Amino acid sequence: MSILRPRFFRNLFSYLVLSVFAFTTIFPFLWMVITTFKSRGAIFAIPPTLVPDLLFKPGMWDSYIEVLTRYNFVRYIGNSMFVSTMAAIGQLITASLAGFAFARMEFRGKYILFGLLLATTMVPTEVVIIPEFLLMAQLKWLDTYLPLIVPSFLVASFGTFMLREFFSSIPVELEEAALLDGASVFQIYRHIYLPLSLPAMTTLFLIAFINNWNELLRPVLYISDSDLRTVTIGLTTFQNEYGAQWHLLLSAAVVSILPLLIIYIFAQRYIVQGIATTGLK
Amino acid sequence: MRYRKITPYLFLLPMIVGLFVFRLGPIAAAVFASFTNWNVATAPVFIGLGNFRELFASQYFWLVLRNTVVFILIFTPGVMILAFIMAVLVNQKLKGIAFFRGLFFMPYVTTMVAIAMAFNWIFATRFGVLNSILTRWFNVSNPPAWLSSPTYALIAIAIVAIWKYSGFLMMIFLAGLQSIPADLYEAAEIDGANRLQQIIQITLPLLSPVTFFAFIITVIDAFRTFDVTYAMTGGGPNFASTTLAYYVYQNAFIYQRMGYASAISMILLILVAAATFVSFKLKDRLVTYAL
Repeated sequence: MSILRPRFFRNLFSYLVLSVFAFTTIFPFLWMVITTFKSRGAIFAIPPTLVPDLLFKPGMWDSYIEVLTRYNFVRYIGNSMFVSTMAAIGQLITASLAGFAFARMEFRGKYILFGLLLATTMVPTEVVIIPEFLLMAQLKWLDTYLPLIVPSFLVASFGTFMLREFFSSIPVELEEAALLDGASVFQIYRHIYLPLSLPAMTTLFLIAFINNWNELLRPVLYISDSDLRTVTIGLTTFQNEYGAQWHLLLSAAVVSILPLLIIYIFAQRYIVQGIATTGLK
Repeated sequence: MRYRKITPYLFLLPMIVGLFVFRLGPIAAAVFASFTNWNVATAPVFIGLGNFRELFASQYFWLVLRNTVVFILIFTPGVMILAFIMAVLVNQKLKGIAFFRGLFFMPYVTTMVAIAMAFNWIFATRFGVLNSILTRWFNVSNPPAWLSSPTYALIAIAIVAIWKYSGFLMMIFLAGLQSIPADLYEAAEIDGANRLQQIIQITLPLLSPVTFFAFIITVIDAFRTFDVTYAMTGGGPNFASTTLAYYVYQNAFIYQRMGYASAISMILLILVAAATFVSFKLKDRLVTYAL
């Protein structure tokens, strides 16, 4: 009877509840993928079938091929890659420079600046987006990648907070040794602080990349040229144009989150730790 | 470390430019614009409180405000309770628990637009799997037309938002749970407290600073809801699922009323600030730092 201890039942119960939550988490993804392997007719079967009719049959990947070749999603993914990478690199530059100044230097206006930065993070994008839109129109930046990159590049509040914390935790003795060698402040930042904060920088890069990949409002406002579309705006326009072709729509949806899922699976440690410790988003 | 007076500002230059050009400047411009009558084609005309007077007299504004409150009232407790349960579950020492943690967090890193499409299909009235299950397994004879129903559209987008964000809050709660010393639970076990008693007497009070932080970011997030509305209902039917942030977008970029939309964005800003302020005022009464 040794197996029937209360601990065993408690664990069994835990696994049961965990499975219920896991199923709820997976189901929308699963249903999405199942639908992409159905033929045009099978989508509208009543009741819906669990096993897709094209599974392991010729034509299984047809909707994916159609989405990637006829509907330009390769291009959209490339655009999103480019914009998200540039914006994330920008956030690293801005946040690491500012985080270093806040962590290691004393100057007039330090606390006011920091307070302003903190306070403006609470301001919803919808409040600043109208003036921002008019500014972008004035600059003739509509229908370019710049409005998707530059604001994100320069407004790096959470990254600044995170790197300020990280830099503050690095022992000062390290920089004193460099000072004896006659290093400048910028050299200390470049050759001591940046290399030491590689894990934090990786986290920040990944989170900034994901956030920019998922950005919807700015592409909606700034991009109308179909060659410049990012995946989010590509998906929504696709939905408006081909509303009932669910196998195609959902193939496009799968294709557009696949890069994120791959990044998440391989770099989960960095992403989750960064978010859990700072509430960063 | 020795440096010239100007050096810190050089380091801060990109951030300061961003702060003034993309944050403070636009906020100031939005305040100004909220007192003007302004469509994109013509120059803004100062009309004092005209926009606000029009807002408070508009039945749509009150409907949108009501929707925002309803959304917050569904979303905030929903996501916080689920996230707390998930955090307690994945805080156990069980085989394969890291897999569950990773899985529960996954929706948070995926694109809302893509998720919204999957849910559009699940919620579809005739061919959707949800209504099929409701009619077949639960004998519901007239399942709702979720996304095109004035009653259910807002609830549907709240459910999707809860599904997407609970994994994120779970991680915040989990970090909090792991900072509670294990010997407190051991002592409670010796005193004969069961699992539920331990959660109520130890976990909840000691987790309250984290819960407070989670509450603030959840409410602020709820005020910002845009993506899920855009991709699922477009605010419809007839504004039944429009919340404040989405109403700003509609007025500015669909109806081209920049001044009026700016006035709505001011209401949004004031509500977010007020919610944050009130929460911090109540903080000391609600938060326990030690037992």
